[in-house]
Amino acid sequence: MDERPISPVLKGVTLVMFLFLLAPLIVVVPISFSGDAYMAFPPTSWSVKWYGAIFHDAQMTAAFTISILLAIVVTVISLLVGLPAAYALVRLKPRGAEALGSLFTAPLLLPTIVLGLAILLVFAPLGLLGTFQGLVAAHLIVTLPYAVRVLSTALATLPIPVEEAAATLGARPLTVFFKVTLPMMRSGLVSTAALCFLVSFDEVVLSLFMTGPRLSTLPVAMYHHVEQQADPMVASLSVLLVVLTLVVVLIVDRTAGLAKTFVK
Amino acid sequence: MIRTAPEETAGLKQGEGFLSLRGLTRRYGDFVAVDDFNLDVPKGELVAFLGPSGCGKTTSLRMIAGLAPSTSGHIVVNGRDITGVPPYQRDMGLVFQSYALFPHMDIAKNVAFGLEMRKVPKAEAAERVREAIAMVRLTGKEHHRPAQLSGGQQQRVALARALVVRPSILLLDEPLSNLDAKLRDEMRNEIRDIQKRLGITAVFVTHDQMEALTICDKVVVMNHGKLEQMGTPHEIYEHPKTAFVAGFVGRINRLAGKASGGVAEVAGLKVAAPGFNGPVEVMVRPHRVSLSTDGVQADGERHALPGTVTRATFAGDILEYEVEAGGTIMKTEAATRGGEAVLAPGTPVTLSWRPQDTYVYAAS
Ligand SMILES: Nc1ncnc2c1ncn2[C@@H]1O[C@H](COP(=O)(O)OP(=O)(O)O)[C@@H](O)[C@H]1O
Ligand SMILES: [Mg+2]
Repeated sequence: MDERPISPVLKGVTLVMFLFLLAPLIVVVPISFSGDAYMAFPPTSWSVKWYGAIFHDAQMTAAFTISILLAIVVTVISLLVGLPAAYALVRLKPRGAEALGSLFTAPLLLPTIVLGLAILLVFAPLGLLGTFQGLVAAHLIVTLPYAVRVLSTALATLPIPVEEAAATLGARPLTVFFKVTLPMMRSGLVSTAALCFLVSFDEVVLSLFMTGPRLSTLPVAMYHHVEQQADPMVASLSVLLVVLTLVVVLIVDRTAGLAKTFVK
Repeated sequence: MIRTAPEETAGLKQGEGFLSLRGLTRRYGDFVAVDDFNLDVPKGELVAFLGPSGCGKTTSLRMIAGLAPSTSGHIVVNGRDITGVPPYQRDMGLVFQSYALFPHMDIAKNVAFGLEMRKVPKAEAAERVREAIAMVRLTGKEHHRPAQLSGGQQQRVALARALVVRPSILLLDEPLSNLDAKLRDEMRNEIRDIQKRLGITAVFVTHDQMEALTICDKVVVMNHGKLEQMGTPHEIYEHPKTAFVAGFVGRINRLAGKASGGVAEVAGLKVAAPGFNGPVEVMVRPHRVSLSTDGVQADGERHALPGTVTRATFAGDILEYEVEAGGTIMKTEAATRGGEAVLAPGTPVTLSWRPQDTYVYAAS
């Protein structure tokens, strides 16, 4: 990006925006270290016992495992489906590629609650409610559009002559794809994976429709927990989630460059 | 590399090339990017495709490499028709204007890629990569990434990568146009030396007439998708067949005239124009025009045209004049010898040149 002098007004606006975005943390982090039995701000005593409590709560740890597994499966499928789709749209340019591209991104424009309701109506007769497969399918509806979008952009910005050079050197189309195209798309692949993982891990509304008494994701379990109890455990959990998200973002930054990946 | 023509031309006209194009054509809708291209390149020769931007050079080269389909026509290499063969089976080395190196591989892996595709045994491949990198004088850079090299170095890697597989034909698409002037001259000669040493048949696409004339055995001048003229640099320069070739290769003065009965009348001059009738363009190169202040008369030996100096440019090694003569501005240039006076604008002069330096074309 161009280096331009930043006006003081812009700096001020940025600062206010950051404070606004970080405000929840300012409340949540202290509460997570509370020694009280109830959520209160500011806490009257300090301890790390609510962090310990997470790992003794069987429902929470089960939900956490489900969420991680779910996010991984959803991410892998998103890449496996998104990559060929993006390749077809960008490189093979079938008739109506643009319309198809818009169609693939359409789920992003629907309110999640509408999607959730529709999924509920379709999945219930199929017996997919309350199942892991059902959750995977529901999450894919949201992550696939992201995957196709980001991977299409990554593919469209690759220099074609590099692939042509490989072809003239004797590489067959599939070899070109695996030895040249895919490695050149690395940053696009990493950011797609991170995006799908975070979107799935963070998804509440669709999961609420899909989860049942025996199968819950972490955000849904937290939601139900808060409904019933007002202890500070969810605050501790939230801090852990923020840390996890940060780790993912850092991995992206290290392997692909953050600005390059998300800003473009 | 200016050679005299006869045996070279004979070689071409026999129609037996190592690389032959037969009626090669590429259309984009109604637009004809390459129009009925016929060519024979003898084995071991370096041939230039020379022409202005958009004349179809890249399209032709991509068809030869198999990267773009032809609408009609045939490509024959060493007697085998390869028109429908995919690029990965054509055995051609292509060097791109943009280098097109693999950004995720180091230099050694870039160069080794073609050998890996051909399943050359590891030990032999390593040796050939080492040799190729040495050939382009990049020994020591094996483990650098392309992005860590300068433009000239990257272009040399691209050359090594294309040559290490010992392709039957080397294709170069404006390989020097992204380099600065000094590097361009160096690389130009380097490419020529390597091409001669390996005895490889090569096509060199360029829009720069200097590159084409100085290092190539043959020059193919193209315009609007059509082959305008093909010949040795000497033939192209001294005997341009069309007004376009005369104007594109080297500098030229143009005079408008009218021909009838084998003689063209141009600004009061009578110029031999056998076979022409109607409006013609008469051309002469600036450095073939002499300028004098003592009133030379036209005779059988020289054409002469009076004029007035409008601009004098002293460029160190040459002295250039613009002279208003024959209803247009004529340019002259002459090597400086030291001590000559630079004529002031307004000085009356006489321009003269030899009849054999005069070109006549039908006016378009
Ligand atoms: N894909 C295409 N579609 C339409 N026209 C094209 C396409 N590719 C090239 N052309 C046209 O064909 C002509 C020749 O192009 P090119 O071979 O790249 O010229 P050069 O390499 O001599 O500059 C140009 O006028 C260009 O606009
Ligand atoms: Mg070109």
